[in-house]
Amino acid sequence: MPTDTRRLTGPESSQSPYNFAPCSKLNLSNLEKRPDGRSFEQLRPLFLRTDVVSQARGSSYIEMNETKAICAVYGPREVLKREDFSLKGQLTCDFKFTTFSCRQRRQHQQDSQEKDLSVQVLEALEPAVCLHKYPKSQINIFITVLQHDGCALSAAIMCASLALASAGIEMYDLVVASSIAICGSLTLVDPTAQEEEAILKSTVKLDANAGAVTVAFLPSLSQVSAISSDGELSFETLNKNMQACVANCQRLYPVLERTLIKHQQELEAAKT
Amino acid sequence: MASFTVVKTEDLAAEQGKGPACVLRGQTSDLGCLTRQDGSVSLSQGDTTSIAVVYGPAEVRINKEQIDQATVEVVYRPKVGLPRPEHRKQERVIRNTFEAAIAASLHPRSAISIIIQETEDMGSNFSCCINSSCLALLDAAVSMNFMVAAVTVALKECGEMVLDPTKRDETEAKSVLSYVFDSVNLQVLTVVSCGKFSRAEYRNGLVLAREAAKSVFQFYRESMSKKLLMSQ
Amino acid sequence: MAEQFKMAQPKEYFKKFLENDIRPDDRELGEFRPTILNIGCVSTAEGSALVKLGNTTIMCGIKAEVATPDADRPKEGFVVPNVELSPLCSPSFRPGPPGEQAQVLSQNMADLLRTSECINLEDLNICPGKLSWVLHIDLVCLDYDGNVMDACTLALVSALKNTSLPSVTVDEETGDIKTDPTTLRPLSVSCCPVSTSFIVFDHNILLVDPTHEEEKLATGAITIIAEGGNLVSIYKPGGTPLTDEQMEDCIDRALKRSKEASQLIGETLCSIDR
Repeated sequence: MPTDTRRLTGPESSQSPYNFAPCSKLNLSNLEKRPDGRSFEQLRPLFLRTDVVSQARGSSYIEMNETKAICAVYGPREVLKREDFSLKGQLTCDFKFTTFSCRQRRQHQQDSQEKDLSVQVLEALEPAVCLHKYPKSQINIFITVLQHDGCALSAAIMCASLALASAGIEMYDLVVASSIAICGSLTLVDPTAQEEEAILKSTVKLDANAGAVTVAFLPSLSQVSAISSDGELSFETLNKNMQACVANCQRLYPVLERTLIKHQQELEAAKT
Repeated sequence: MASFTVVKTEDLAAEQGKGPACVLRGQTSDLGCLTRQDGSVSLSQGDTTSIAVVYGPAEVRINKEQIDQATVEVVYRPKVGLPRPEHRKQERVIRNTFEAAIAASLHPRSAISIIIQETEDMGSNFSCCINSSCLALLDAAVSMNFMVAAVTVALKECGEMVLDPTKRDETEAKSVLSYVFDSVNLQVLTVVSCGKFSRAEYRNGLVLAREAAKSVFQFYRESMSKKLLMSQ
Repeated sequence: MAEQFKMAQPKEYFKKFLENDIRPDDRELGEFRPTILNIGCVSTAEGSALVKLGNTTIMCGIKAEVATPDADRPKEGFVVPNVELSPLCSPSFRPGPPGEQAQVLSQNMADLLRTSECINLEDLNICPGKLSWVLHIDLVCLDYDGNVMDACTLALVSALKNTSLPSVTVDEETGDIKTDPTTLRPLSVSCCPVSTSFIVFDHNILLVDPTHEEEKLATGAITIIAEGGNLVSIYKPGGTPLTDEQMEDCIDRALKRSKEASQLIGETLCSIDR
């Protein structure tokens, strides 16, 4: 492996000390209560704030208990490469986990999961942004997950949509996202990292229904902008849980709305 | 034919009637050691040697262009391997030092590049790099606000100070300080340090280094005048 | 009107303020921005801290891993600091490998750890020649508004002081490694180096704790790292030459700041323990 000459490097290989610890696996088959004390269909409290990055055009911070992410929006700015010219504006998204955000240390370079999530966030947001209003320019979204405890995708989508709105980028609607993890007859709303891991790595086949669904929803238009599902799910289960996700999105929407109103009020107050 | 001159401080000290006990290690310069560059020098301070070359004022890369002054670029090549963050830091200190020294506003929208190749680090490598770069700039006749001279001082555990330390002095020392002075007021332009030290030690090192810097400037003068005599 | 004046003539705009011994953000020339510390904010890291210096925000997370020690240093562990100036924190940074500034900052952090000797590398050894700790110290800039060096140093030291490592043992006979995540041992940090940065404006005025705007107008910069009454580093990379009196003044102020900042770290740590 070529060594990175632009970073300080430690020994060639190192591993997490927890690889040598007896693993405490979450037993899903007879789960009565979730590890954090929530009921199965309970969402985590959502905390949002705008204007956290002074240098950015718009920015926001999201916290869902132990899942914490920050997002900054720059632009609209000039497209540097001439061949990228288009009359429709371009949206780019860069999703990154910090190296210390997960249980296992992550690398500095963007890995395949992060690239995949960048695309998913982008696809969830694109239908909501009036890109035809920004010809020949690009809008850049940068998302950094500071701590990952499940639902990174939905947190990133909400955080980014709020950052776009606070940047004054014209949009049709805010984007709200929510996810559900499914394991047989058990459904866990807004799963934590521990729960996500337990379901995706469960070796026992539970009537082919084990996975997770994330839905991105435009609440005032009542349209779904993106659906992402992992694992094996029957059509009925998927359908049922997508509807549950949409219902949860509608419950989360007022929080985003209020944060945006507060942001606007602060902006007005600063002007006078 | 390459016109090069070799000046040694030992000769200088002898000429001026000073004893050979010059505080700095013997300096040897070879101005114009390479021919295709605008300015080049190979400078030895004791066993520490570096080669510095200067190109410019020349065309600048469009993204580095400054409309009111020349862009100073410094590339530092270590003896072995690729440049690493420690060399980037060195590069940056050298660049910032010469940004102040070079009269950059005389050459707007152009680039002045300094490339330093470390050939042998036997202590006080930083000083050698700065001094060789300054000589190379003089060789290239780049206009400067002032000349600069760098002197390294090592502080030993016992409180003793060693001027222009060798590699061995540096490893034994509790800290190593490098000072760069301008030629006009002999004020401090750059300081870099490695290791803990007290305030008094900083001051004492400063006094010692400032005195030694004068002989570095004298050395520049002699080197240049020899070169000019040769070319006549 | 003020906005246009600032845009067209940033230097003149600044001078107007400095004539009255005040800076555009209402600070005096020698005044620091409010410093906010949040220690232990990331539970997935072994140690963490968030530092805000005015708008400038740095988050430091320390991830501990185990590795075989170097053959020539069998009794030592590793500390690997890296500073990330992500495109998130400022429009001037682009995605990709770290630029020159990030590399210089990373190297500054490594130099600081080495010269201040605040971590004894032998403390990071688990079993001589077989196993050692590697502390991956990652500093992420979340908001770039000047004086990143001071914020990084504060975050680094606070996060180190917050670090606890699980107990790891190596079986003498089989060589098996065992981790007990329930017993945590705090990392011993012997000192608390504090960095203080200044910029030189218009070749003669010294400003402490510069914002990004002030840094862009600077004709020189100087960073002093102090610990107790000692100096760990003086770093003045070129720029305007300073008189000896100005240098002494900087050292004075750095020593004073180091006392205040280490007190702040101590107080914050105490408030977490409670």
